[in-house]
Amino acid sequence: MAEALHFLRRNPLAAVGAAMLSAILLAVLVGPWLSPSPISIDMTRKLVPPGLAQPLGTDFFGRDVLARVLHGGRATLAIGIGVVTLAFLAGTAFGIVAGFLGGWVDLVMMRVVDALLSLPSLVLAIALAAALGPSLQNAMLAVAIALAPQFARLARAQALSISVLPYVEAATATGSTMMSILWRHILPNGIGPLLVQASLAVGSAILQTASLGFLGLGAQPPAPEWGADVSGNLQYLRETPWAALAPGAAILLTVLSFNLIGDALGDWFNPRRRRME
Amino acid sequence: MGRYVLQRLAALAPVLLLVLVIVFSLSRLIPGDPATTLLGPGATETQIAALRAQLRLDEPAHWQLLAYLGGVLQGDLGRSLKTGAPVLNEILLRLPATLELTIAATLVAVVIGVPVGVLSAVGPNSALDHAVRLVSLAGVSMPAFLLAVLLQLVFGIHLGLLPISGRSSPFFLDDPITGFMVLDGLISGDLELAGDALRHLLLPTAVLAAFLAATLARFVRNAMLDVMTEDYVRTARSKGLPERAVVFVHALRNALLPAVTILGLKFAELLGGAILTETVFAWPGVGRYMFDAISNRDYPVVQGATLVFALLFMLVSLGVDLMHGVLDPRVRRRMG
Repeated sequence: MAEALHFLRRNPLAAVGAAMLSAILLAVLVGPWLSPSPISIDMTRKLVPPGLAQPLGTDFFGRDVLARVLHGGRATLAIGIGVVTLAFLAGTAFGIVAGFLGGWVDLVMMRVVDALLSLPSLVLAIALAAALGPSLQNAMLAVAIALAPQFARLARAQALSISVLPYVEAATATGSTMMSILWRHILPNGIGPLLVQASLAVGSAILQTASLGFLGLGAQPPAPEWGADVSGNLQYLRETPWAALAPGAAILLTVLSFNLIGDALGDWFNPRRRRME
Repeated sequence: MGRYVLQRLAALAPVLLLVLVIVFSLSRLIPGDPATTLLGPGATETQIAALRAQLRLDEPAHWQLLAYLGGVLQGDLGRSLKTGAPVLNEILLRLPATLELTIAATLVAVVIGVPVGVLSAVGPNSALDHAVRLVSLAGVSMPAFLLAVLLQLVFGIHLGLLPISGRSSPFFLDDPITGFMVLDGLISGDLELAGDALRHLLLPTAVLAAFLAATLARFVRNAMLDVMTEDYVRTARSKGLPERAVVFVHALRNALLPAVTILGLKFAELLGGAILTETVFAWPGVGRYMFDAISNRDYPVVQGATLVFALLFMLVSLGVDLMHGVLDPRVRRRMG
């Protein structure tokens, strides 16, 4: 905890990100209890501009835009964090073993990763969602499958370049076991870019799920979801831009707060860059 | 080096096979009977039976797979359920539009992203560095569709400066030479066409380039900072080389390696972004075609587009791997 505070004090951008994320988490967790139903239709109050009663106005069906943003955020955050944790653990373990061992093992392991990586993740997610039928669960499944190989490939590249460095050679020469070399030398020295990647991946996971929603392949109406709410309100962009821009801004701010923290973490866990501060 | 190239090519074959198996399997994930699901509730028994025969649904799965692989080898990606046209032809017709967009975006992103990343790394934690980090983070955090909508709102609707949909104004005849409209206009000396196509290209390119330039700037900055602590950089400084030489000759060259890797990796996201961008801007490329096919439940088209995007990405990845071999002698030696 003390270290976390120290980290935030030394990284103003990360502190801003953490503050933003805390505010978003609080709003998304508590907000839905305090706000009106996101799906109750009131045609007498459609396309009302932002005001006191409805801070973000209403959409074409008279639904409260703020309520929809708050409710839609719950699914979005859960997806982002859960999917990335799994992808990070599986991908990193796979990748550093392949990169360190090299040779045939590496060749075979990487073919599997290559095949998955050869399908651009959003393209794969779209094709999967189109086949399985549009739903939030299917969208999540696709994004999870698509993310893990990215970690494997980056972890392998790190292990590959670090395993030729003199200190690994020295560790090998003094009889360290493979596990200890991976754990004590390769992982600590290679983890910086992986953490940056992980923080970006939470962002990517949220962005991709929202993109599927935008294309009509994620959450289905009338369920509130940020991406779907942007595309649903595009028709009225000229008259009532807030209805489309509010959920869009929610995506931007959430992803940005994750990226702000991840970016600073990347520097923090990189001993070479840390020294320069 | 020749052996390295051959090794990379040989390594591609099993990957390609795995990719084909994955793309084939996609269509078998359609719940229920794919023929019934794809044709929808209004279909007659005869239509369903015909589609079942076309998709070979009555045969065992491995025969279906072999038939699919055989078809792909002969350039047969199936036929569109909507129009009956061969999927490959339809995709090839739209491919230049997508390539024009992605190439333009990549060029813009490299020209902006790399220098910005270097500037940011030269003075870490300076005001400029913080500004670059914040802006580039916002760039990678921005959903492509939101940026597209914002640009349409500002430049198209409010300012009325730029067209917000399509690839050219309707009165220009489509007479492709290279298929890249801006180039075609320049080659045929039709500056009006080139200008018109360029104006249409600007906003979609900006959307795609924004995220890529931001990504590049971030990675070039981080890679430069890593490299700047290397012994050879200290050596270069201590032997009295001017800072400019240290940065550009010693640091940048080594920092560009990870940047090339990232550029290759991010090409996948660029293609995904192209689907969103083409959809919002009604850009007549493969991405827009894929989106339309989803609405029409035209799954052979979705499958074909998925495969073509995968192949494009594989080509770029191969290029990046080869470039890595050229640029990094350590990798070359290790790979044999």
